[in-house]
Amino acid sequence: MADDLKWIDTWNDAMTSLQLLQIDPSGFGGIWLKSPYGPVREAWLRELAAIGLSVVRLPGNLDLERLLGGIDLSATLQTGQLQQQDGLLTQARGGLVCIPMAERFPDALIAPLVQTVDSQAGARDPGFGVIALDESDGDDAPLNPALQERLGLWLDLSGIAPADVVGHLTDNTAVVGLCIDAPSLAVMRRAAPQVNVTDEQVAALCVTAQSLGIASLRIPTLALRVARAHAALNGQTTLTDDDLAFAARRVLAPRATQNPVVNAPPPEDSQAPEPVPESATNDGGETPETPPLEDAQNPDSEDKTGEAVPTAAVEEMLVAAALASLPNGILDRLLTRAGQSNGQALGRSGQLKSGAQRGRPMPPRPGAPGGHARLHVLATLRAAVPKQRLRARSSGARLAIRGEDFHVHRYQQSSASCLLLVLDASGSAALQRLAEAKGAVERLLEQSYARRDSVCIVAFKGAKAELLLPMTRSLVRAKRAMTGLPGGGGTPLAAGLKMAYNQAAQLKRQGVTPLLVILSDGRANVTLAGLGGRAQAMADADQWCTQWRQTGHQALWIDTSVQPDPQVQRLAQAMGGSYLPMPQAQAHRMAAAMDHLRRTSA
Amino acid sequence: MASTFPFAAIVGQDEMTLAIQVVAIDPAVGGVLVLGDRGTGKSTAVRALADLLPPIQVVKGCPYRCDPTQPANACPICQAPEGERSEKPVKRAVETQPVRVVDLPLGSTEDRIVGALDLEKALSQGVKEFSPGLLAQAHRGFLYIDEVNLLEDHLVDLLIDVAASGENLVEREGLSIRHPARFVLVGSGNPEEGELRPQLLDRFGLSVQVRTPQDIALRVAVIKRRDAFDRDPEGYKAEWQSESERLQKRIVKARKALPSIVVDDAMLTLCARLCQALGTDGLRAELTLMRAMRALAALQGHKKVKPDHLKTIAPLALSHRLRRNPLDDTDSGQRVQRCLDDLLAA
Repeated sequence: MADDLKWIDTWNDAMTSLQLLQIDPSGFGGIWLKSPYGPVREAWLRELAAIGLSVVRLPGNLDLERLLGGIDLSATLQTGQLQQQDGLLTQARGGLVCIPMAERFPDALIAPLVQTVDSQAGARDPGFGVIALDESDGDDAPLNPALQERLGLWLDLSGIAPADVVGHLTDNTAVVGLCIDAPSLAVMRRAAPQVNVTDEQVAALCVTAQSLGIASLRIPTLALRVARAHAALNGQTTLTDDDLAFAARRVLAPRATQNPVVNAPPPEDSQAPEPVPESATNDGGETPETPPLEDAQNPDSEDKTGEAVPTAAVEEMLVAAALASLPNGILDRLLTRAGQSNGQALGRSGQLKSGAQRGRPMPPRPGAPGGHARLHVLATLRAAVPKQRLRARSSGARLAIRGEDFHVHRYQQSSASCLLLVLDASGSAALQRLAEAKGAVERLLEQSYARRDSVCIVAFKGAKAELLLPMTRSLVRAKRAMTGLPGGGGTPLAAGLKMAYNQAAQLKRQGVTPLLVILSDGRANVTLAGLGGRAQAMADADQWCTQWRQTGHQALWIDTSVQPDPQVQRLAQAMGGSYLPMPQAQAHRMAAAMDHLRRTSA
Repeated sequence: MASTFPFAAIVGQDEMTLAIQVVAIDPAVGGVLVLGDRGTGKSTAVRALADLLPPIQVVKGCPYRCDPTQPANACPICQAPEGERSEKPVKRAVETQPVRVVDLPLGSTEDRIVGALDLEKALSQGVKEFSPGLLAQAHRGFLYIDEVNLLEDHLVDLLIDVAASGENLVEREGLSIRHPARFVLVGSGNPEEGELRPQLLDRFGLSVQVRTPQDIALRVAVIKRRDAFDRDPEGYKAEWQSESERLQKRIVKARKALPSIVVDDAMLTLCARLCQALGTDGLRAELTLMRAMRALAALQGHKKVKPDHLKTIAPLALSHRLRRNPLDDTDSGQRVQRCLDDLLAA
């Protein structure tokens, strides 16, 4: 029953949020709406459109000038005088900014956006609230964390069935009337900052935040702001438990990084009798919908538990011992070697990509400015000059520039690459070799640090593969994730390869070139479906190796078996990658192998 | 313009506020790097920096805001052309301006930072003129880079060069311009999200690790002050006005006292031994250490640098210069402290 009605709570809160937006559009940053495209989100957006706040949509192909304001090029050329245009953020003042597909919104635009949001705090003019529509699901990279942090309310509508909203809501009494009429809105807006808050209530928010593992101090501030608006909405002049509960439910709870079981601090804080336990129980009630979300976003918490593995110290020692077993510069060689032409690699993002935004300048080329292309003035003028005499007859202007003269900037940039590590943590590989493999990986990590690449780690053992660490540049985290990894269980090689394949596809979408490194002995004995059976397991693995080949990305298989295994070599070939046996710490043989690799690829 | 949270009202984060004050007293220390999680008040503190500083005198009309008493060598406006340089000093109109804290957002383009051809003039008058970028704006002020560890590499290259030479050389779009860009680099970032290039790391004089306070009372105090500010920025600022002024006076006094602070040979030897023991590269560490100690002594009203000052400053000035294994996560601040304790005990 409670489960049945939970969606109503969520939906009601989503509706209440819209009212809070009317009262305080910019005060608590905005709303992060996690929901797939569908009737539910549409219904919410319809309500959003109806509340009477101006909404400016920011498309992902926006350029910086349009966002922040700048020169209106076409108008300037036409009139011969400087024409400025307002940026979208300026236009949005007093209203809302809506970012569709926010999880794909370019970082280069997030940074100025966040900066503007930050500077609103002390500003005299009204600011704007941000509505981030996030459609990411599963392993997709979520919304930029810097923006996440500044958006007060986090709503997750993905748990609501479309039928509920569309069918029920038209006649459901639980739904609140949304649009606040102008006079009472004015009263509420004035009242919101005046709402009285006791010290205990502030303390309660802080304690709750801390017990949920929220370190940032921005969050309780936002929560307080939300609670104030909520109180004003209900026409109160002092903050009630109800307001605090709402803030705890929608601001604090979704960001929890730990279970609020660490409730040692709240009981001590006995001056705050009601709010703390209440919000804590609320969290308990809400958590069925929040934990999957947290897990996706907070691999940190997993890291922490990983650290506690008692064998860590021993393993670390082994890691150090094995450090020497991988030759220096292996990454460099792999990356600098000419791309393998297996015929399918056409159009892949190579080492370099050219674009119109950043990087080293390349010669300008004709093209219309706009979007991300910026006008190259000098080249444009240069193109126009020879034709001046011809054009002078038709136009009276001193300098006649036509559309065909436009040249735009081009830049070349080396595309970022990500080291995608697939670790075999199964029993067959683990017990003797896992520690050594970890050592080898650390060596690789050090190299990737020097090259400023990012790292992504997938581990497989037992019946399934898991994403140990999503793409990160922090090697400390990579190391932590790895040293905490226990070994044992079967070898679901295919599952590992499949996850690597999916990760690679995702990285590719983000414009990052993946580089696969597999550490395994290749003795697959668990099938993709998670069942035993060596033959089927190998067949599955084979299939995913072939699959990888089609991506055309580089791969390196480091064979961790005691004796180099022809079968593994076959797999490595099937995926179009290089094969490197890592027999027990024999550095010279390794070096020879590397030499060979270089010779064959040259 | 938006008003900023008053610096004096910042609660806790003593190391960070100390580092910022030291740099404000002596810009030659070379900038501050603040590392820590989100929501620890990094940006708030840096943006409040302008509060601390007295206004400066600038040459009127100079886009680079040169000092009237000694215009920068590279300034194309204040420096008369080669041929007509005369003996008698040129009289220049002077005006007073607040010190700037210039924000360098992550997504900036090269043009925006370095400066580029002035589009307006080029389009409307057909004149080739340089429009100064962020680096020019930051001259004699502060350049603040939030999330400095996520800065694009090609932008980092630009900064490294300019921060070292104090001059910005522009050779692009048919422009050839040199202008002064002496600024104090202030960076902040979250090390969990990425590491910093060692070359850039070295350009920062001091580095501070900030953590969120775990003490509930402190956290509540922070939230309450922030809340009060959010509700009435101007009123809150006025409330802290006298405190801010006191702080500013202290900084000005320390700046005046700076040249007369004595650093004796014994202290210098101690610095050198500390740096040697820690194996820092180059002499920059010792220079920074000395300047920062001097500034700290001036701030505290001492005439002479004492070992206590070294003790306070050493972790800030050295912890990011240690040669370390990127994967080694022992706290380098503690290493500095331990080494210093050993030296002092010996």
